[in-house]
Amino acid sequence: MKIFVIGAGQVGATIVQALHDEHELTVIDVDEERLAAISQRYDVHTFEGNGASRRVLTAAGITAADLLIACTSRDETNIVAAMISKACSRRTTTIVRTTNPEYLEVWREGQLDVDFIVSSEVETAYAILRTVGVPSARQTDVFADGQVQMVEFDLTASADPSIIGEPLREARTPPDSRIAAIIRGDEVVIPGGAETLQPGDRIVVIGSPHAAQAWGNLISPGTGKVRDVVIFGSGRAGTAVARLLLEQGINVRLIEASRERARVVAAELPNARVYNATGFDPDFLERERIADAQVAIFAMRDDLKNHFAATLAKVHGARFTVAIVHDAPSQEVFEHAGVDVTVNPRQITAEEIVRFAHDPRTQQVVMLEGDRFEVLDLTTQRDSEYVGLRFKDMPIRGALIGAIVRDGKAVFPRGDEVLRPGDRVIVFTESQRVAEVEKAL
Amino acid sequence: MIPADRGRLRRRAPLLAVDVVGVLHVVGTLIAYLSLATLVPAGVALGYGESPWPFLAAGAIAGGVGGGVMLLTRGDHRLGIREGFLVVALTWLVAAALAAMPYAFSGNPQLDGLVDSYFEGMSGFSTTGGSIVTNVEELPRGLAMWRQFTQWLGGIGIIVLALAVLPRLRVGGRQLLEHEMPGPEIESLSTRIRDTARRVWILYVALTALLFVILLGLGLSGVDEEMTPFQAIAHAFTTIPTAGFSTKSNSMEAFAPATQWVVILFMVLGGINFALMYRALVRRQPRVAARDEEFRLYLALLVLGAAVLIAEVWTEDVLPGTEALRAATFTAVSTMTTTGFSVADYNTWPALALMTIVGLMFIGGSAGSTSGSVKVVRHVLLGKILRREIDQTLHPEIVLPVRLNRAVVDERTLRAVSSFILLYIGIFVVGALVLAVDAARTGLDLSTIDAVSVSASMLSNVGPAFGIGGPLGSFEPFSDFSTLVMIGLMWLGRLEIIPIVVLLSRHYWRNA
Repeated sequence: MKIFVIGAGQVGATIVQALHDEHELTVIDVDEERLAAISQRYDVHTFEGNGASRRVLTAAGITAADLLIACTSRDETNIVAAMISKACSRRTTTIVRTTNPEYLEVWREGQLDVDFIVSSEVETAYAILRTVGVPSARQTDVFADGQVQMVEFDLTASADPSIIGEPLREARTPPDSRIAAIIRGDEVVIPGGAETLQPGDRIVVIGSPHAAQAWGNLISPGTGKVRDVVIFGSGRAGTAVARLLLEQGINVRLIEASRERARVVAAELPNARVYNATGFDPDFLERERIADAQVAIFAMRDDLKNHFAATLAKVHGARFTVAIVHDAPSQEVFEHAGVDVTVNPRQITAEEIVRFAHDPRTQQVVMLEGDRFEVLDLTTQRDSEYVGLRFKDMPIRGALIGAIVRDGKAVFPRGDEVLRPGDRVIVFTESQRVAEVEKAL
Repeated sequence: MIPADRGRLRRRAPLLAVDVVGVLHVVGTLIAYLSLATLVPAGVALGYGESPWPFLAAGAIAGGVGGGVMLLTRGDHRLGIREGFLVVALTWLVAAALAAMPYAFSGNPQLDGLVDSYFEGMSGFSTTGGSIVTNVEELPRGLAMWRQFTQWLGGIGIIVLALAVLPRLRVGGRQLLEHEMPGPEIESLSTRIRDTARRVWILYVALTALLFVILLGLGLSGVDEEMTPFQAIAHAFTTIPTAGFSTKSNSMEAFAPATQWVVILFMVLGGINFALMYRALVRRQPRVAARDEEFRLYLALLVLGAAVLIAEVWTEDVLPGTEALRAATFTAVSTMTTTGFSVADYNTWPALALMTIVGLMFIGGSAGSTSGSVKVVRHVLLGKILRREIDQTLHPEIVLPVRLNRAVVDERTLRAVSSFILLYIGIFVVGALVLAVDAARTGLDLSTIDAVSVSASMLSNVGPAFGIGGPLGSFEPFSDFSTLVMIGLMWLGRLEIIPIVVLLSRHYWRNA
């Protein structure tokens, strides 16, 4: 495949590293030195110039490209590059990196002619949510802007007795959720109402964030949910994390050093508690009982500040710390300092772009149990055989619709709900049936 | 140095920082046009075979003086924010004088005395509704209708009217409108302020017409035998502006229960933000209203106020069952919307009920409505400010924007709301004190609660108070000094204090 990469920064370099073996790469950047650094390490073609210029793109041979990855740190450059590329040749697939979640929204509504868009901030937020979302879960994933969660649990004997051994239709399971699958050794059951849960089962639940928390409580009573998260720094990353956590019903405290920014964020996120403080003041940490938070996330723009604040918070008793790092070497330093989790937005973005470049089916969102199962995010077509059917009348063929997103709102279908064309469905299915499910919908 | 430059340097700085001539020009223009309003009662007087001369003379004088000032002050004016305050303050003073002239000229024994006539004029335009007339039914028809008509003109505002119908005022408009339209912020219905003013007036006229038709229907169908066409138009004029003058000496008590319920409904409508009503009714966005925090609290407070009064009247056995229900509801709505109609003499009600009525006087209707007083939205914001203050005491670093209908309210507005309420209470207290002292001086029978209620009622533009100024009483016994104080309170209350108080500042008049 001929791939164009616009931008040779950290994200670009990571992408080049991952793709240069299998594909023919052209890297475009305005910075000669960066290009030199890349061409020294990898066998790729480099082209100096502005990636948002049609002259540069055509001179570099954009019409022959199969895929364009626009991943500079400037949103507008990336979008313009993708637009020009689309205009020059329709068949080129385009991927755009953005730091502004609003573009993601616009793209999802189909108003941006780009094939795939990756927001570092949103990906980072998802990554953090996966680590802190439901403490008792084996794996957590979120879809549809956090409105739908998929959680995988191991059932043990300590689970709430009301769900063990009862037929599912009688067990008091949290509303707005479904058990998508029960994995029992090698056997996989897509459960009907008569099925019962046994200790030792591994279950996959799809439901609302609220229901996911309720399940967490049933599976291991007493762990509770994460209720209280403190985020240091309310830049775009910090705000995106805060927004996603708030949507999960988690209380968020944001600490922002700039007075102006604090006001803006407080206006933007009515449910967050925003403090105008530096996070370097021990008195403040003590007074506001920051250590009582279950999770402290460090999302300031400067790794050094994050490092200092994280260490200080640890000294004052913070239990679980997550740091967003911006430079690769910082990762080691943070880990050495005892920060529990580090998240590198550029790394995550690059990985997401590479995943798409390998397999441009945006629908496939998550793999489970190695690759035995997948969760798909599909949009129902008008001529689908399932449209107009009630959920209770749908034949079970190794797949299950966990949730539908209708008019931007997640709905967790009950038996007499009818599937409509245009519904976005979150489907749990065995990997071998993916093609079948896609065709059916 | 070049001589011309020296000349410029030597020229004296203007004495005042306010373009007073320009202000006079605008006020003169407004009054000249407003003088045309006297033709309405003149017509009524002619129709009933009364003398139209008091009205024609008043109209001629106002038109002549206003027009004269307008012509004499023609020229280039600097009209900005500063001038706006003075325009509004002066216009309302002069308009009240215009309203007073026919009373003074009529030679009617109930309206003698210049100060008393001026009181009646200010009570009219400010939509207060307190009166010095002891028996309104003995007034000539023309004079009675003039009282009603001034309230209708004053309801939405003289300047709003001028903006809506006059070709050009030579002033920005928006500032003027903000000083005159009640409430902390005006809500634009259109990008042009003139269109907003026009829409508000159309709605105002439509509601008045609707009420007139309903009242007329009640009268013609025999449901209410007192409701003649004259009464219907007279009360349609003073209900929507939440004003309260009546052409019956026992106010709404003279009419049938059905009429009273209809009036309750229209008083409630008059207390709703007109921009909100326009959106809900004309643009068919009822959800905007349903979600509006002020509107919801406004309705809740009306219901609560009525419920409390009903309970108090019931438990004390003042009135029999259904009558208590109607009278208490009517009184609560009439007081809170600052209308001031009455269906019962609440002077005989228990003390607790009287306290409730005084409390309701301080609530008022919605911002952007025709009612006076503090207004519900300011109470909403004050509550939020206080809650934030408590939170900030515990968490000094926390940043908490105050929101109204989900939008963040800027800090200047919040400060303005707090200082408005402080000023409001301050002026109310001073007013009550001065009235009480003056009553003691002249030997007027005014108890403490009476003085308190008169001050609150005047400042809130309600009208009737307790004691001699009660629903069936009159403000005639008050001394000229007390009457002037009450005129001042009505003026301050109608213009929401700030545009008048800024005039007292030295920095208003001078650049330095």
